[in-house]
Amino acid sequence: MNTTLHFQDADGFYERLLDVHAGLSPAESELLNARLILLLANQIGDARVLGECIEAARVPQQTTA
Amino acid sequence: MPDTAPATPYRAPAFTNGYEFTQGAGYTLPKYPFVAPPELGSGTVMRHPIVIVGGGISGLTLACSLARLGVKAVLLDEDNTVGVKGASSRGICYTQKSLEIFDKLGIYERIAKKGIQWSVGRTFAGHDEVMAFDLRQQGNFNLSTQPPFINIQQFYIEGFLVERIHELGHVDLRWKSRVTAFTQDAEVATLTVETPAGSYQIEADHVIDATGSHTPFHQWCGATMQSRRGDDRWCIADVRFTTHPPVERHTWIEAPFNENRAVWQHLMADDVWRLDYQMAPNADPDFVSREDVVRERLARQFGPDVEVEVVWVGPYAYRSQCLDHLRAGRVFFMGDTAKIVSPFGARGGNTGVSDADNLAWKLAAVQRGHAHPALLDSYNAERLEAAQQNVQVTNRTARFLRPADGMERTFRTAAISLAKEHPFARALINTGRMAVANTYTRSSICDATGGQSVQNVAFQWADGSAGRVNDLLQWVSDELLVLVFGEISRTVASNLQQLTRLAPVRAVQVLGAKDRAQAREHVRDPQGHLREASHVFGHTWALLRPDGYLAATGEAVDSDLVAAIERGLGLNAQD
Repeated sequence: MNTTLHFQDADGFYERLLDVHAGLSPAESELLNARLILLLANQIGDARVLGECIEAARVPQQTTA
Repeated sequence: MPDTAPATPYRAPAFTNGYEFTQGAGYTLPKYPFVAPPELGSGTVMRHPIVIVGGGISGLTLACSLARLGVKAVLLDEDNTVGVKGASSRGICYTQKSLEIFDKLGIYERIAKKGIQWSVGRTFAGHDEVMAFDLRQQGNFNLSTQPPFINIQQFYIEGFLVERIHELGHVDLRWKSRVTAFTQDAEVATLTVETPAGSYQIEADHVIDATGSHTPFHQWCGATMQSRRGDDRWCIADVRFTTHPPVERHTWIEAPFNENRAVWQHLMADDVWRLDYQMAPNADPDFVSREDVVRERLARQFGPDVEVEVVWVGPYAYRSQCLDHLRAGRVFFMGDTAKIVSPFGARGGNTGVSDADNLAWKLAAVQRGHAHPALLDSYNAERLEAAQQNVQVTNRTARFLRPADGMERTFRTAAISLAKEHPFARALINTGRMAVANTYTRSSICDATGGQSVQNVAFQWADGSAGRVNDLLQWVSDELLVLVFGEISRTVASNLQQLTRLAPVRAVQVLGAKDRAQAREHVRDPQGHLREASHVFGHTWALLRPDGYLAATGEAVDSDLVAAIERGLGLNAQD
């Protein structure tokens, strides 16, 4: 999994990601996100990289000391 | 809605993988007579090397395989017929590997004549076709003498096996014989058998539990397992009708005529169609299988004018289950006693058939002193891997077909919508991954180069007549088969000859169109099909087992081949 910067245009991507959801209901947004994940995952293809990305996507649990 | 959920208003579905007979014209099934065995009356307890419990497709395949190898066995079945307690069909779809096994047993021609061949499958969602496949265009199926699949009612195959066992002899089929108690120790296994003429005890060296999903042996042996059950409910209608849909497998993930739930449509023998409808989660099995409800469902799919003869209706729920070990002392678990899967992909019965084919030659080879008793442990290593794979694959399908509400359903909707637009997403559509001959990657008796199934391909005998891999496997019986490809040196020829004299192994030289014959036993493979099927790639030799699996391939006919043979017979087994 590549954790160093690979975006050609990070701000531009982020803006398009927000724009495509504009005006959608939460259910429509969920479906769009799901479609997007599947499309992007197929661009990567590599099973190990995809597995690491899925693990890295988990939201870290807050630890109570 | 009341605050507290009402008590379940209907009987909970039985979590069996049996299709319970409810109504319909049904089939007339053969009845086999109970014959009082010699033990009854004499009072003496007889000891048998092999006792098979259960006369379903796995138990009968094992019995027939042993009969073919000339090995004596007793089979005990609590019923006196094939099929499920006088009901009807269970499995309907038999894979190439199973058909190759049935060919070895001598019943393939009858299956091919009675059954329906198919290779085209189509998947629909709503009113759109999402994807289609034609298995004849997929290279991995087209080498074998047997087709990718034949659809036929399971009880026909069971009936053919019973008749074949009677022809072959060696196996004593005992009907109306229910095993009610079991013990085992270092010396022997003892079974108590109840029959219409009284009960008796029988002793066995090896017991094969092929009794199915309700087996009492799990408890008797303290077997442990992984198990999972869900709320998915289905209802089968086997019907004949006046329209004739195409001879293809059609599956709807979301059928407009079934409240957007899944539907399977498949043809079997006798012009009977199997229609399998997904019901609402936790649906009432009594209601969904009521004749008027079934007919209304059929009319929604085929139109109100189609005349329908309902042959059989079976509502079911499925569970998945896999034992942790397929051997407990003298007991071997096979078929549905080893693992239980949902029906998607035809991975139930076909796996049981391969379980039987795997164990038969090992039992024969050990009994005849051709192999070390440790060979029998490899049944667990190999078939447990197959069982675990099949459970995993079918669980994934079940999850696609019955996604949990929320994100699981959203991802399915996303996958279906993408699949309609882009080929890549069709790989995510999972209506069942059809059963394959599972490869063994952690077998104690296979080399890293082995573990794959070899298809029943054609070649030419020395005189130019047509032969097939199964002919070679018939010839070796329970021994191993070395195929040596291409021309060989005089030393190699003499080494091979010596090897076949000293070890339970037979050797055949496989020649290209123009190669010189140097071994007494040789065949011609002008198109290279046997070479391709044997997975030898650049190697010189392939070591085949009687179940058509590859033990190893290798470069030189030297100590590597000798080591592979020893390992393949359970000597020096490596874990």
